[in-house]
Order: sequence, then structure tokens, then C-alpha cells
Amino acid sequence: MKMKKTCAAAASALVMAGMLAGCVSKDNGPGTAAPEAALKDGKYDPVLTITTAKQQDENAGKYINGESLNDNVMTRWGVDHLGIKIETTLLGGDAANYNTKLRLALTGSEKLPDIIPVYDTSLENDLIQSGQVKEITGDIQKYMPDRLKEIYKQYPTTFNPVIQDGKVYGMAISPNLTEGEVMLVRQDWLDKLNLEVPTTIDEFEKVIAAFTNDDPDGNGKKDTYGFDFSGKDSYNTGWVSDPVMIFSTYTGKHLPGQWYNDNGKLTYGSVADGNKEALAKLRDWYSKGYLNKELATQGAWDALADFTEGKAGIIIGRPWLYGSVKDVEKNIKGAKISAHPTIKGVKEDKTYQSGQLNDGVFMFNKNFTNMEAFFLYYDKLYDAAFGTGDFKYGYAQGYDYDVVNGEVVFDSAKFNKPLDAIQAPGKMTFTKNTPSVDGPGKSYYDLANGAKPDNGILMRAAAPVDQTAKDGFVISYENRDVLLPSAFNGAPTKTMQSSWEQLTTMEKETFTKIIYSKEPLEAYDEFVKQWHEKGGTQITEEVNDWYKKTNEVDVMSAMGLK
Amino acid sequence: MYHKSKGYKLFSIFNHILLILVALTCLLPLLHLFAQSFSSKAAVNGNLVSFWPVEFTADAYEKTFKNSNFTGSMLISIVRTVLGTLIGMFVITTAGYALSKDFRGRNALMWIFVFTMLFSGGLIPSYILVTSLGMKDTIWALVLPGAFGAYNLILIMNFFKTIPKALEEAAFIDGASFFGIFVKIFLPLSLPGLATVGLFIMVGHWNSWFDGILYMSNTTNYPLASFLQTVVVQSSAQSMALSQSEAAALSEQSIKAAQIFISTLPIILVYPFLQRYFVKGIVLGAVKE
Repeated sequence: MKMKKTCAAAASALVMAGMLAGCVSKDNGPGTAAPEAALKDGKYDPVLTITTAKQQDENAGKYINGESLNDNVMTRWGVDHLGIKIETTLLGGDAANYNTKLRLALTGSEKLPDIIPVYDTSLENDLIQSGQVKEITGDIQKYMPDRLKEIYKQYPTTFNPVIQDGKVYGMAISPNLTEGEVMLVRQDWLDKLNLEVPTTIDEFEKVIAAFTNDDPDGNGKKDTYGFDFSGKDSYNTGWVSDPVMIFSTYTGKHLPGQWYNDNGKLTYGSVADGNKEALAKLRDWYSKGYLNKELATQGAWDALADFTEGKAGIIIGRPWLYGSVKDVEKNIKGAKISAHPTIKGVKEDKTYQSGQLNDGVFMFNKNFTNMEAFFLYYDKLYDAAFGTGDFKYGYAQGYDYDVVNGEVVFDSAKFNKPLDAIQAPGKMTFTKNTPSVDGPGKSYYDLANGAKPDNGILMRAAAPVDQTAKDGFVISYENRDVLLPSAFNGAPTKTMQSSWEQLTTMEKETFTKIIYSKEPLEAYDEFVKQWHEKGGTQITEEVNDWYKKTNEVDVMSAMGLK
Repeated sequence: MYHKSKGYKLFSIFNHILLILVALTCLLPLLHLFAQSFSSKAAVNGNLVSFWPVEFTADAYEKTFKNSNFTGSMLISIVRTVLGTLIGMFVITTAGYALSKDFRGRNALMWIFVFTMLFSGGLIPSYILVTSLGMKDTIWALVLPGAFGAYNLILIMNFFKTIPKALEEAAFIDGASFFGIFVKIFLPLSLPGLATVGLFIMVGHWNSWFDGILYMSNTTNYPLASFLQTVVVQSSAQSMALSQSEAAALSEQSIKAAQIFISTLPIILVYPFLQRYFVKGIVLGAVKE
């Protein structure tokens, strides 16, 4: 008798747990299912809910005032001003598990969000194949505001990954070239050794040799070296600790790990002429101790530590990299960093770098019927970039700017309520980065050339931040023609799916072993041969087929972007 | 005497050195983290900190505890661990008690349980199951799927089997019910086993991060391990579209160090109290009949 009671108790406990679970769970269903909301005077009534997915880096700023992803100054602004409520229903931490969650959502066990930002070309392709995403050619033509059309017109290649059979299934997230890379040099070392900033490969070699052998820090020990970079992930990081300049010196526009459109034919940079000479240089330098000893094991971010510690003399990266390594000026007395353009190539032209046009694409649930609302909201987000409307100075007073004594302030420490860091709207809206029309540092360039800071963007650029970083932005804008986006941005081709991994591993190993002198320089020729034999030739053909196909139908006209 | 022989002494010395080395490999990373967490940002970025704080500051801790995401996640982790351990222990001990008896179909049941040790449904079916049951975005998604573990069941079951049958029969004669015997005789007698399994479940819950990221659609619902996962994993060159402010935040190594250090503390504190049962629990549970 007693045993039965116990069983019953246990069973009821389990049932209770199940019920509780049911009670607490949120219902993702309604909201979007009611398309009754109508646009009146630029505002939806009743409030329209748009669900979205988000990949969010916890490092990117924090919420203040107890706000959260679905309840913050930007979501409230959307409801108050546009009658649009943005609700995140799918959230992933880093890129890998965001993609995992999206794939799981595709299994159909739950509703896909209305707006789906996707950052992976093969996932973009899968989404199109699944038939769950919307074809938006007509929507773009009909609803995209003119000022955005002007922007998207400039970057037709950003549509390539989302075109299938002449139909467009998505659009780039704020297309815009990233800022380029600059060379950061220990100016105090140059001064001490009476050296000039290097502009050619020979001068570069002379400088890093002196940085290694002539004791630039004056401590009597041979504990410094010239050039600090990372070769762990690739020899073209396009970001920070990048060695791609050395390759480009000899290969020009053929960058390792990237596809280049050579008069209508796409070719792969790692097997182009000139790589061998670049590797020979790096091999020579490595054996002489001019380079980061652990370059093959340190990631892009780890490699910075040597520079910040005061062991390395030259590092390359985006202009803001200065902010991440400037601690060397604090750690070492007299240390001074200066920013310069990358060196010239052997053919007397510039050295090139990879540039990024957009960070992923927006795709839309096929049942999403409010494209007009999306474009309304998206266009408003651009207000900050254009310096118009509600976001003339920034997105929210007290978050990313403040007005103190009648003056607009962008330094978070000087706000009425000082903050540790500005509150980037990237954590609050559906774009990861703030939309920009500014290009690779144009505002800094304009200011340096005497423009008056009379709109939000210029005022922000004029805010007193590190001068060296500003110099870097100006340099990167002056040299914006060296930025090369990869010519291939489609989903992995058939042969790529089976052998690309193997090919890139072979490439990385060969390059590293040659630099480390573990294999003769001739190993490069063998690599090129192997690369072509083990699928490279096939892949090149497929990539070119893809290129032809995406340019077959004039989708730009269909979208009204011509 | 063999333990006074030269060979034994040599072995003993070698053994001690080896164990000290092993202990150091466990201890030093933690010490390094500790030193980093109390050092200034500049010193940490410049790789100047080894095992002693440079330019001592508790700034990182202040920032960590002011971060409501961190403290919120910590709370969720604590609730999850307590709840998960209680539910887990309840399920495992009751199931273990029943299965330590002989009854029809016992072997078939055991076979089913062991089967789950070898084969799992995989990510997609588990995900569909959990979401269809409406557990997404609730604490139950973290607690219930892992409540039953076949390995722990076998440990506990074998532990129960070592308790003399005569004890149970005596209790029956005195009028105790099955449940009474379970609570008053079996549980108190198997404390080492319970402590061991309890620690396994507890550490499992505390450290588990993937389920949090998988089943929560808001970071404020992340348990601590999931939160740390998103903070500590550094953006590689592959995800290179980082803005300036993000990049600056990425380099705050001292705050990361503080967060990791704080997150390991609770388990380090619990461990000494359970450790005395630990060895006994594993050995006894592992011996059959």
C-alpha cells in the first residue's frame, strides 16, 4: 500500500515538473501571425512584432541599466517611434554555435525567425535549398529606400552568395569595405638606430635586421626582433598580425588563400607566381631571428603580446589595432608607436590586402510578410551613418553619445553618467555592427583635410581618441585601392566540400615548414603540383562556373539597382 | 623488508617527483590565472605576468561583479546545480534501489539503460524533443535531459548490492516498508557512493555549457559556463569583421581571468568535503558482488 503511494508521489512530481516546464516556456507563435498592423504616418498600429536571430559576442559591450537583448533603449525606441517590436528568438554565442542553432532550427521543430542574419556561405546555400527562405527580388525593388539602393548599387558582388537561378534570396548586411591595414612601427626604435620608415622590401629587411641585431631597446641583450605576425590560421588574416604584405610584395594582387578575378578568370592566390620568392624571404628572415619565433602556433590575437611587451618592432593590422597594442607605451618608458602605409611591391606598385565587403547576409522567413516594415527599420538604423533624423549624433543619448553642457560628447568617461565603454547599438539591434556609409576611414580623412565636424559621424571621428589610430584611419583611406575582396564568395563547390579542407591543410603545412626550414624551398613547387592534382584544377573550374552563373542573369536590374 | 630495499626507495623518490610534477601542471595554470586577475590590464596584455600579480589591482573583480550578466549567470548556475543534483540523485538512487533487487524484466531494463551509454539519439533528435516538450528557455532544459545517467546508476546499484541482504530482511521483520528500508538503511549506509555520484553530477552541471547555449535564446538565461564560453573563446581571424570597440573589449584578459577564477571556486570549495568519500565510493561501486 505504502509503496503505491510513493510511486504515485514520484509520478506526480514528474508530471508537475513537466507542467511547470510547459507553463514557463514562451510561446513564439503569435505576433507575426497577425498581419493586421498597418502603417500610419510612419508608425505601425497596433505594434508589429518582428522576430530575429542574432549571433552575439559577449565581449562586445555590455547592457547598462538592467537592460537586456529584448528590452533595451533600441527595442523601446522601435516600439515608440515605428510601432515595430524587434524580438530575438534565436541567439547564438560564437559563430560556430550560432550556425549549429540555425541548422537545428531548420529541422522544423520550431519556427524560424522572420529575419535571419547568416554569416556562413554554405549555410546560406542550405537555407535556400531548404525552401524556407523568401525570394526578395521584388521586395527590394519595391520597398528598399532610395538612399540604401544607392549603397547596394555600389556592391553588386555582395549578392552573389544568395543568388540562385536568377532569384535573390537575401541581401548583404550593411555592405561596405572594411578599413585597410596599416603598419605599426616602434618609432622610438627607428629614432634610436637612425633608421627611416621602410617603404620597400629591401628597406624593410634592413630595418627588421637592425631591430633584431642592434639592441633597439638598449638593455644590452639580444631579446628583440623585427616583424611580429601570426601564421596559425592562415598567412592572410586580413585582420591583425597579418603577414600578407610580404606575399603581396611578390605576388601583387594574388593573395594567399583568396580568389582573384584575373581578367574574367578566377584564380587561387596561393598557387600564383611569386609565392615562392615570398616564402624564401620569410624562410631567410626566420632563420636569422627577425620573425616571431612562435608564428605558427600563435593566433592573430596572441601574437600581439610580443609587441605589447616591447619585444617586437613592427606589426600590421587594422588601424584600431593601435588601441590594442598601445599598452607598450605604458609598459616601457619612452616607447612610441607610429602608423604607416604598407610597403611597396617589387613591381613598384602597392602591396594589397584582403578587404571585406559585408558581414554576412540577411535572409527572411518565407512566411514573413512585412518586408516594408523591415526596410523602414533598417533605413532608420542608417540614420546614424547619414547623420540624419533621430540618430543625428548617435543612437541613444547616454549610451553611445551624450550631451554635456550643450555639447555633444563621444567619450564615454565624460558622459553625465560616465560609462566604462560606449554602449554599441550592435548589441541591441539586429545588425551585429553599426551600419556605415563611411567606408574605410573616410571621416578621419575628411577631417584631416579640413572638414568641419558638423554631423554626427564627423563629430564622432573628431572626438579625442588616440592620434596614432586616427593617423592609421587616414592612411587606410588614402590607400583604399589596395583592398581586394575575394572574388569568390559563394557556397563551397562540390569538389571543395570533399577536398578543400585537405588542400588548405597541405597549404598551411607546406608554407610553415618552408619558413621553419624543415623542408627545402622546392617543396613549394611540389605543393603547387599536388594542389592541382588533388582537386585544385577541378575546384578552379567549378569556381569559374559559379562566377559565370551568378553573372548570367541581370538580377541588379530586377531589383531596381541599376 | 622489501619496502626498505634500494629499489623501493628509488621508486618512492621517483614517484614523489612525478606526482609533484603532475600536481604542478594542474596548479600552475590556476595560479597564473589568479595572478593575471589581480594585475593591471597593460601588464597582462604585455605578457608580463607569470605567477605573481604585477601592478596589483582588484579592478577586474570589481568589474566582474558589477556585470549583471555574470552575476545573473552565476545564480542560474547555482540553481541549476542544486536542482539538477537533487533531481539526479533522486532518480538515480530510487532506480538503483529497485534495480538492485531481483525481479522479472530487470535484465531487459538494464539492457535498455546500458544501451543509452553506447548509443545516443544525437543532437538533432534531442533538440527536437526538448523544444517540443516546451522546455526551451526554461531551467528544465538544463536539468531534466541529463537527470538520468546510466553510468551513475550502475555505480549506485552495485553499491546497494554490497549491503547485506540479511539487514534488509531483519528490517522487514521489524515491519519496515520498502521505502522505509531505502531511506533508513540503504541511503545512510551508502554515503560514500552517494557523495561520489553526487559530486559527478554536481561538477557535470556546473561545467556544462553547450546545453545552455543550445536551449537558451537569451543570454540572460545562460548558466555561468555558457556565459564564460562566449566570453573566453577568442574571435579568430575567420570572424574578422570586428569593430573597434569589440576589439578593445576582447583584449581585457584580466577580466576574463577573474571570471574564470571565480567560476572555479565553488567546485574547489565543495571538493575537500566530499573527497574523503570519493576513493571509497569509486572502488566499492566498481566491485561487483
